This record gives sequence, structure tokens and C-alpha cells, in this order.
Amino acid sequence: MEMGTIIAGILTLAILSFLYRDNPIYKMAEYLLIGVSIGYVLVITWTNTLMSLLFVPLFAGSDLWLIIPLILGLLMWARFHKNIASLSRIPIGFMIGSGAGVAIPAMLYGRTLRQLSASVTPLVDSSGVPNISGIVVIAGLLTTLSYFYFSREHKGHFGRLAKVGTFFLMVFFGTTFGYTVMSRMSTFIGRMEFLLTDFLRLAN
Amino acid sequence: MKKLEARHFAFLGLFLVVTLTMLLNIKLDMKASPYTQALYNYIEFLPEGSTLIVSFDHEASSLPEIRPIATAVLRHAFRKKHKLIGVSLLAEGTLIGYRLMRETAGEHGAEYGTDYVYLGFRPQYIAAILAMGESIEKTYPQDYLGNPYGQFELLKGVQNYDDIAAVVSIADGSLTTHWIEYGQARYGVRVVGAVTAAMVTTYDPYLASGQMYAMMGGLRGAAEYEKLIGKDGGGARGMLAQSSAHIYVILLIVLGNIAYFSSRRTKGSG
Repeated sequence: MEMGTIIAGILTLAILSFLYRDNPIYKMAEYLLIGVSIGYVLVITWTNTLMSLLFVPLFAGSDLWLIIPLILGLLMWARFHKNIASLSRIPIGFMIGSGAGVAIPAMLYGRTLRQLSASVTPLVDSSGVPNISGIVVIAGLLTTLSYFYFSREHKGHFGRLAKVGTFFLMVFFGTTFGYTVMSRMSTFIGRMEFLLTDFLRLAN
Repeated sequence: MKKLEARHFAFLGLFLVVTLTMLLNIKLDMKASPYTQALYNYIEFLPEGSTLIVSFDHEASSLPEIRPIATAVLRHAFRKKHKLIGVSLLAEGTLIGYRLMRETAGEHGAEYGTDYVYLGFRPQYIAAILAMGESIEKTYPQDYLGNPYGQFELLKGVQNYDDIAAVVSIADGSLTTHWIEYGQARYGVRVVGAVTAAMVTTYDPYLASGQMYAMMGGLRGAAEYEKLIGKDGGGARGMLAQSSAHIYVILLIVLGNIAYFSSRRTKGSG
């Protein structure tokens, strides 16, 4: 058996031991996971990004413009020194400004306009048959939006409309919860498959 | 020793259900859902040798669920002799993606550099997606192993998304959304998803609006896909355990409710 399989098997059992109660073996496995994850991210970022995209081309002289992001990056560290902390606002401002500029139109288009246009479909098709799913989508959209309209008290007809909205929300929450349970079960089954097949070799 | 509580018996029951059903090794007969069928059809009917970006947008913690999903799609793509460019927008997915590509490529005799290339990780996923829309080579001057971009036969002529048939986002979170909002909306690249079950409801609206072309979800999706490609994997092996575990959870919910209402009645009468 490979050493990696043995380590993975022992660590899986250590993590599963939490199901009984919190214990030092679980804690060790948890801290190991956090430490290895952070270490891995640091190494990958250094080798795969900083070296290949910044330091190598900059110091080889092939792209001197890279001095600008390098300086902006270094200014971020200024916040750790009281006297020059304000300098860190320059790269932060740059990031927030460019980030918002990129994200706002994309989100407005992708999450709002495209979704809105996809929600409003003809309620009757060309042969005169009602488009049931289209009607349900519009009913769900309008009643759910009513529920989130807080400038008017949820009473009378409007209150009933908002109440129907909660029904659609509950259906969504139920579906999402069901899928999440399915996902977590899949993760557990995946680890059990590893334990039974690769680690304990009880199944093929 | 700690006193055993009800939850301990619930966990023990789940452990027994999953272990016993996995040891039985019975495969359920799966029928592909329209979602999975659409993804299969897309990859199946793409012209041979089409170039796909496979983005490993997940963390290590979701590997047990992601592995069968990714393996099924990769096997299909390699079998159809499509050219695959692997990338990762989450650092933790980088090595996993590389190993999955290497393993499935090995099964089909696909060669590195000619049939597939792994470019690796880039931080700031939005910036990476946008940058690839302008130039993949400038975003990834080197592959994951440090070889220059221009060295590979596969990458000659691949400038940006115009030369890509689709992006296959293998995700356990919301990163596919960014492929849709930045890659698809801005550059028109087709996005298909192979995602964990927990993310299915997040991406349903994008599928309905046509912003996402096709999607496969969860272990069940993997099992359906494995049946379509005619090669069993982790999905098919896990489906009996998954179904049994779900029945077990439903039983626990019913029993919990019965216990709750009977205790309330007892308190009320008392």
C-alpha cells in the first residue's frame, strides 16, 4: 500500500472521530488540513504566479511595465507601519475602483437583465395552449418580490400575495436543502469508498 | 467515556447503511436526466479535435464528489479526441486537476502537449477569466510544469476564447457564475458546468436562461454520465449507497417528527 493512502486513511478516520466527540486526534487532523492548505496556496501562488508572471519577466527585462503592479503590491504592506499606513490606500483604492467597474455591469447584465428577460416568457404558446411553467415562473417572481417589498405593510391582498411568495421561497429552500444533503452524502460516500476499497481493501 | 446521545446512533446507522450497501456492490439502473443528456450530447457531437478549457474550480474538500464527476467528463472528452486545456481558478484544485487529467489521459493514450495541456492556477479569478478573453498566452506564459506556452502543438493557434469550443467548469462553489458573467457574457464563450449537487439550484436559473449551455450535477449526474459513456466509475458505485442513505435520512426525519409531536401531546395533556 502506498504511503499516501495510509496517511489519507488515518487522517480520514481522525476527522470522522469528531462524530463521537471533539478530541485531540481530530484537532490534529484539522490543524494539519489548515496548515497544509495554506502552505500549498502560498507555494502555488509563489511558483505559478509571482515568479512566472512578475519576477521572471520583470528581472529579465522583457516587461518593465510590471514595476507598477509590483509597487502597488508592495504598498499594500505599508499598512503594517503606522507612519506610512495611508499609502496602502492607493492599491486598495485601485482594486476597489477597478473591481467595481468590472463587476457592476457584468452582474447587472448577467444576474439581473438576462435573468429578468428569461423569466418573462409568453403565457400562451402559438397554438393557444397555456405555458404552465411560464405562468408559474411569473407568479413565483412577482409574489416573491412582493414578500421582499418592505415599504408597505404585508396586510390584505398584498399580504396574501407576499404569503404566496413565502410558499415559493420554501420550495426553493427545500430543494436547495435536499441537494445539499445529497452533496454531503456524496462526500461521505466518496470517503467511505476510499476507506473500504483503497485503505481497508474490503471491497473491489 | 462520554454518554451516547441520539445523534451518535443516527451517525452509526448512516455508517452501517453506507458500508453495507457499498459492500453489496450492486449497481442501480440509472436513466439519464435531460440535464446530463444535454452535456453528454454536447461533448459527443462536437467535431473531433475541438478545443475545450477544463477549469478545476473546486477545493480539496469536495474531491470525493468532484472526482467521479470530473473523471466521467474527462473520459468522454478524451475518448472523442477533443483537445483539452486544463486550468484552475482555485489554488487547491490545481494539483487535483492535474492528476485527474493525467490519469484519464493515460487511460486513453492521450499525450501531454498534443492532446492536453495543463496550465495550472491563476489567482483573482475574475481577472484571470477576463485576461484569457484577450490572450491565454499572456495569462499563462508557461504551463503548470514551467514549459513555455508556445512550445506545445496543441496551443499553437489558440489565442483566446474565439479558439475554444467551450469552457467546462468543474465546480463546488460559485466560480462557474464568473465564467458565465465574464467569459460568456463578455466574450461569448460557451460555458458548461459539472458541479456538486449543492450547487445545482444556484445554476438552474442560468441553465433556464441559456447563459449556461448544459450542466451535470452531483454523484447522481456522474452515475448517469458513466452510464452514457459506458464506463462505470465512482458515480455508479455510489448510487445504491446514496439512495439508501437518502431513505435513511427520510426515515430519521419522519421518526423525529413523530417523537416531537408525541412529546408535545404528552406535555399538553400533562
